[in-house]
Amino acid sequence: MGFLDNSGDIILDAVLTDLGRKRLAEGNGSFKVSKYALADDEIDYALYDKNNASGSAYYDINILQTPVLEAFTNNMSSMKSRLLSIARKDLLYLPVVKIFNDDASTLNSQFSQYLVLVDETTVNALKSSGGNTLVAGQLNGDIPQQGSKMIRVDQGLDTLELSANSVISQDLLETQYYIQMDNRLGFIASPTTNANTNSSLSFTPTTIDDDNIATYIFTLNDDSDVVTRIPEGDASSIRGPRGTKVSLKIGSSLDAKTSSFLFTQLGTAGTTAITGEGSLTLAAGTYKFIDTTVRISGVSTGYTLDIPIRLVKKN
Amino acid sequence: MATSFKTFNDQDSVVTRNLLHEAIPITGTIVSGTYCNKTGGEFNIKTYSHGMFQSVYDYPYLSSSANHIFDLTAGYSSKATPLSKSSAANYNMQPKKINIYNEMAQVLVGFDETNTLRQFDADGDFTGGVKMKACYFFNFTRLLSKDEIKKGSFSLVLGLGKGYNTGSYRQRITITDGSGSTSYKVNSPAGEYGILRASGSGNTAFTNPDPLTGSNPKVGLIYYQAGIAVITASVFVSGGLPGRSPFANPSANRKTMLQVSPALTGLGAGPHFSPAVLTGSSINVNCNALRHRINNISFNNTTELNSSVYFCRVNNTDFNYSGNPTYLSSSKLVVKNNANDLPVTYVTTVGLYSGDNELLAVAKLSEPLKKDPTTEFTLRVRLDY
Repeated sequence: MGFLDNSGDIILDAVLTDLGRKRLAEGNGSFKVSKYALADDEIDYALYDKNNASGSAYYDINILQTPVLEAFTNNMSSMKSRLLSIARKDLLYLPVVKIFNDDASTLNSQFSQYLVLVDETTVNALKSSGGNTLVAGQLNGDIPQQGSKMIRVDQGLDTLELSANSVISQDLLETQYYIQMDNRLGFIASPTTNANTNSSLSFTPTTIDDDNIATYIFTLNDDSDVVTRIPEGDASSIRGPRGTKVSLKIGSSLDAKTSSFLFTQLGTAGTTAITGEGSLTLAAGTYKFIDTTVRISGVSTGYTLDIPIRLVKKN
Repeated sequence: MATSFKTFNDQDSVVTRNLLHEAIPITGTIVSGTYCNKTGGEFNIKTYSHGMFQSVYDYPYLSSSANHIFDLTAGYSSKATPLSKSSAANYNMQPKKINIYNEMAQVLVGFDETNTLRQFDADGDFTGGVKMKACYFFNFTRLLSKDEIKKGSFSLVLGLGKGYNTGSYRQRITITDGSGSTSYKVNSPAGEYGILRASGSGNTAFTNPDPLTGSNPKVGLIYYQAGIAVITASVFVSGGLPGRSPFANPSANRKTMLQVSPALTGLGAGPHFSPAVLTGSSINVNCNALRHRINNISFNNTTELNSSVYFCRVNNTDFNYSGNPTYLSSSKLVVKNNANDLPVTYVTTVGLYSGDNELLAVAKLSEPLKKDPTTEFTLRVRLDY
């Protein structure tokens, strides 16, 4: 008679993240574990060989041999790809989040990232006087409401095997997003301009962690205009059924705008001339830049996209 | 509705308290002789210009690899009279020795009802009995003692042979708190403490049991939470009664146990013996003499570990899909050929979150754990404080 399999109960030792330690030290009750999530950060599902001739026992043999790293204590470095609970077992497609590449929201083709021009001097160096037009992929971080350039990502089933006109299932529709960025460098601003004040609405982060990472939460049909449905028939980067889109602008922080300290500390001198409107350029050696990311995560579907951002400041 | 979080309910966590014990062996060679130069300098012993104690390291202390393991000092009460020296001029560092004694007594023994400082009491009963008026102090570092020394685990083996250079260990006593786990005292302001008793073979002073008392003689106190062992200086007095001051009636027969090299005492030609060394030599010399008589120290420490155990109950319908970018190819699950195939994921990490989704703690599995709709398991995640 064999022994019973007792592997259904597994004991793990957890380590506090730096944020957890901070919350614990604050002693104000903010350290309270109330939920959990599972993640598979190390797993490369491309190793899943579902057509292995040796049978199903060999489909995941390479995945199961994946070495697992010790825990990171940086709260931003762990749990990047969370597992999802969906009642249905017959899903063959899951939604993704993709950058929408039209003229207003595409990445800067020169650097394959968004350029955020942090102050008036930098903006004026790359746009013609009197106008508000920047070239594609360049965002006005000094005054976000000026110009139409923004970041937009679309959510949905990016496949040609399903019709773009079909409606995405409600349980796959993402209605809420986390947006995270370095609070020292900038903030999230509304993609629309307030008609009364002619200013772009800037938002207050929900939390700012110990590493100065600000987390914003935006929900479908809140007042921010950040999360909206992709109207039927509209252009989208999603080839199949569409869900929601996230549109936003980035404003530069006061420190980034008025001081060169951050660019001296974190930045690099530009070695490639930046092409602006018409024949305008920001010559190599005349600016500094900081590369960072804006992370957009679906709250319910867990899909995460890191958007590369380059903050540029003219010397 | 898809979700990537699962909320704990009241039955999904429990708080536990465990006591962890480590065995701490300190061999005598570490505290004397292992890290010497040819002129006798000991690189793992740190002395100070104030001369009030010395620190023992497990490696030359200038190295970043060295760990501070304990401090040694000595002192006596201002009431320890008559002293063995006839002239006050012969007392070396007397104020500092009295300061040391008083400081330790103040912290470990406290004050009586008239706010008079108590002396160390051999049996812990302050209403009477023998007072230990001259003592050596072993202050173990927090690195070793952790939250407390485990009761009943302390052992100190001292050599009591007459010769400083030869024969020191021919006669040995073993000092233990054998009854500490069941009969410790609680009337100290520094927490619980036990009585240290000596036993030894081939030793005229500490036959086992003592013919006078019928039990092993009391020679000191061990303060468990403070991590301090107090040893009466009379252990080095031949024929001395337990706890008796080494200064009392220092006949030739009773002062031969701690014979110290003349070169170490600074007292000139010798040899010199325990009472004279205690009064006439510096604290540092006394500590050196004591260290060279330490054959072995061992105890178990105790760490109080408070843990929260979170039961992450993963049901068959939970966590069967992934937000991993490699999980999809053109939005299609790479682990499925058709919709009827079961989804599968591989868990490597458990994250514990606050109510507003801040990641507070992370636990890792040793290897990927397969999850599909046919499996359920409970991951017990322990968070120690």
